[in-house]
Amino acid sequence: MEILKVKNVSVSYGKKIAIKNASFSLKDQEILGFIGADGAGKSSLLHAIAGVVSFDGEIIYKNYTYHSPKEAEKIKNEISLMPQGLGLVLYDFLSVKEHFDFFRDLRGLKKDEEYEKRLLKMAGLYEFQDRLAGNLSGGMRQKLSLILSLLARPKLLILDEPTTGVDPISRAELWDIVNEMREEGMSAIISTAYMSEASKMDRIMLFDEGEIIASGRADELIENIKDYTYEGEIESKECFSFNKRTYCLKPLNLKKATPTLEGVFFVNALKKGKKPIIFEIPKKQIDIPNIIVEAKCLTKKFGAFIADNCINLELKKGEILGLLGANGAGKTTLIKMLLGLYPIDEGELYLLGKRIKSYEDRIELKSKIGYVSQKFALYKDLTIRENLEYFAKMHGLNMSESSKKIKEYSQMLGFEEYMDNFPKEVPLGINQRFSVAAALLHEPVVLFLDEPTSGVDTVARSAFWKLIRKLKANMGISILITTHYMSEAEYCDRVAVLKRGVKIVDDKVENLHKKYPGLDFEDIFLNIYKEKQNK
Amino acid sequence: MKMSAILKKEFLVFFRNIGLVMFILYAFTLDIYIAGKGIKVTPRHVSIGYVNEADNLIVNKIISHFHSPQFKKPKLFLSEKALKNAIYNRKIMVGIVFSKEFVKNLISGKVAKLQVLIDSTAAAQAEVTLIYLQNILMNFEHKIKIPANIDIIKLFNPNSNTKWFMSLSELMSNITMLGLILIAVVFVREKENGTWDIMLLMPVKGSIIIFSKILSQVLILMVGITISVGLIIFGIFNTPINGSLFDFYLISFLFSFAIGGIALVIAAISKTILEVAHLTIVIMLPLIFLSGAWTPLSSMSPFIQFLSYFSPLRYYIQATQDIFFRGSGFVDLLPYFGAEFLMAVILFYIGYRKIGRLF
Repeated sequence: MEILKVKNVSVSYGKKIAIKNASFSLKDQEILGFIGADGAGKSSLLHAIAGVVSFDGEIIYKNYTYHSPKEAEKIKNEISLMPQGLGLVLYDFLSVKEHFDFFRDLRGLKKDEEYEKRLLKMAGLYEFQDRLAGNLSGGMRQKLSLILSLLARPKLLILDEPTTGVDPISRAELWDIVNEMREEGMSAIISTAYMSEASKMDRIMLFDEGEIIASGRADELIENIKDYTYEGEIESKECFSFNKRTYCLKPLNLKKATPTLEGVFFVNALKKGKKPIIFEIPKKQIDIPNIIVEAKCLTKKFGAFIADNCINLELKKGEILGLLGANGAGKTTLIKMLLGLYPIDEGELYLLGKRIKSYEDRIELKSKIGYVSQKFALYKDLTIRENLEYFAKMHGLNMSESSKKIKEYSQMLGFEEYMDNFPKEVPLGINQRFSVAAALLHEPVVLFLDEPTSGVDTVARSAFWKLIRKLKANMGISILITTHYMSEAEYCDRVAVLKRGVKIVDDKVENLHKKYPGLDFEDIFLNIYKEKQNK
Repeated sequence: MKMSAILKKEFLVFFRNIGLVMFILYAFTLDIYIAGKGIKVTPRHVSIGYVNEADNLIVNKIISHFHSPQFKKPKLFLSEKALKNAIYNRKIMVGIVFSKEFVKNLISGKVAKLQVLIDSTAAAQAEVTLIYLQNILMNFEHKIKIPANIDIIKLFNPNSNTKWFMSLSELMSNITMLGLILIAVVFVREKENGTWDIMLLMPVKGSIIIFSKILSQVLILMVGITISVGLIIFGIFNTPINGSLFDFYLISFLFSFAIGGIALVIAAISKTILEVAHLTIVIMLPLIFLSGAWTPLSSMSPFIQFLSYFSPLRYYIQATQDIFFRGSGFVDLLPYFGAEFLMAVILFYIGYRKIGRLF
């Protein structure tokens, strides 16, 4: 039986169309997944269904038809929406118990002690009822948000990226809760940025640039593109290569391989006539010591909270080191200590064999590091060219040097045509590359990238990783990259995993594969987390 | 080189925020104009009503003194009750009751009492109207009794031209507000947009970044002051300047840095531009109240007068009024320059230390 029918729904904000003509239906007790990058239109469609934004088109829930948030008012007690963002609906100064009281009163529900107890136990929060939400970990906050949205026993649960940035164990627990409620007759629509979660859904819909590009069971979708999938990676203007596979519309003289879900995006891009960018990066030799950055037992405390607890880290010449961990694990704090942005509470930091202690040392340190911050934060009121000129000047490049460098990098990284646009006018993938260019202008020996792939679409992500690997190979610089996509560990040379301020893994990627044969990185890390928890 | 890069960037960012540019232009032009034109402490077109119980010619003579532009043509009411109703319904603002007794006493030279009803909701206007009334009556009395007259000579602003005074006061207040907001925002915008870390990662000394950023906004303020003084103060209000314009710019420049010091403190503790706005209002109001901008310092209590020594705005306003109206020369202004310079150094040091910790 169909519980929800969506007919030609479009959502736009001013001139910008977020999602265009989306149509689909949802069966009773079905879990439907929305997969796509930031800005692909997932959230807008979810919000339209939940009746919180205006939309064009028609939505039918059971037998009730609505066209606007006002008309949707009547069914809101059967639908529950959990918006994006870690624990965004929570109040830091209320305890878990007070949250229950507040949300119960807000929705005008009767207290159902048995049910509430069950929810708390499912989320593993039964023992923490008196703890303030502000003192819960990221995963716990997300679980609390979820059970609060279940409080009204919704028939339809809408979750907007509930698992983004959440640690692997909490993510597994979130899925367990959703599945248990489904057994009792609930349906759910869940959006996610992680392809690997497709296997947990009955049916998925793939989103790209405001359109639904494919829908169906994950295995069906994969089956559809198996003719285009080949083993190995090649460099070609007509094929996309990513994660040991190559996707090409024209037949290749290569062995066929089993595709992954990511392949659907590549094949779609190829069918739209998009071509991969090939980065031409000149080979260079730099003469630097073998160990670029060395951190010895770095510790950072914020009051009683220990953000990073005695972390040793070594970054070697020409190496890509992946720093992985959930939100709040201490990745950003560690990077900021390495950058000299945070004073170090305990421990020692060496750059190119020289200990960094004084303010002057830190200025010296800054001129050797390139840094791309989260969300590619550059000046939004300056055009890309003005941004780059500013950075070049600040690093002491003169006019002719700077214009030469800017031209060189804009060609190399393929954003030349966007030079006079403002950052918000260009796609996220372009912003990502031009941020890298801004970080490279002063020829640093090491590049720090803080979550550069977060929210970026699959095609741009694959291009980005290619760029990173090429920069390493041809320019010889070392790269430290943080990410919460566990699957991206695959493209690093070595990975270090942080969990609540403690380093739990630091090993070469190939060694980890040997240790856990046949598993992908999602599962490898889930195993490691579980091992560490049992100890 | 690095400083010019920062200046260029800040100017570009400023001019691309059309909303902010419009607001600043408004604050430096239209707002000053409205303040000069609109805020009136002298009575203008005050509506008057009277009851003539005595029915004597003398009453008509007194009434004839209430004329435009200060007063509207006085309206005759038949009874005190009708007069009261008119005041209650806001038809008129001032009501005078000429009783038989009053006329009798006035003519016979005894103490004559006059009943005056005033709608005091417009407190300042009511107060000033009352003084006018007293003057008129006193003049009248003198004319028939004593052949002497009180001559009032007004100094510095001979026509009591309030628009000169009001527009300058408003300009000073606006410079205070805009100085605080502009300088604090130039730092907090970096925090809000997440570019703070990028800024810190430039291999440039923190002091250069801080100083360049403030300088960029002080220059914008100076341009604003020039527009305001040229267009509104001189252009529309024809305010005379008896001193040197250079002295005015010098004191404005010093004042901007004193305000900049306070703005740095705001910038250090705010995370969002909204917080800047809140803190600015909380800090700006006492600065203005303690400066003598709206109330003469001499009419404040001694303790408040003492506090006003700590407001950089006090010296700025006094110096500005001296330059414009009294025509004081550089040497006479030295105490103000000295005090403002000292304030600038102290406040800037505090602000610099506070924000410097974040660098």
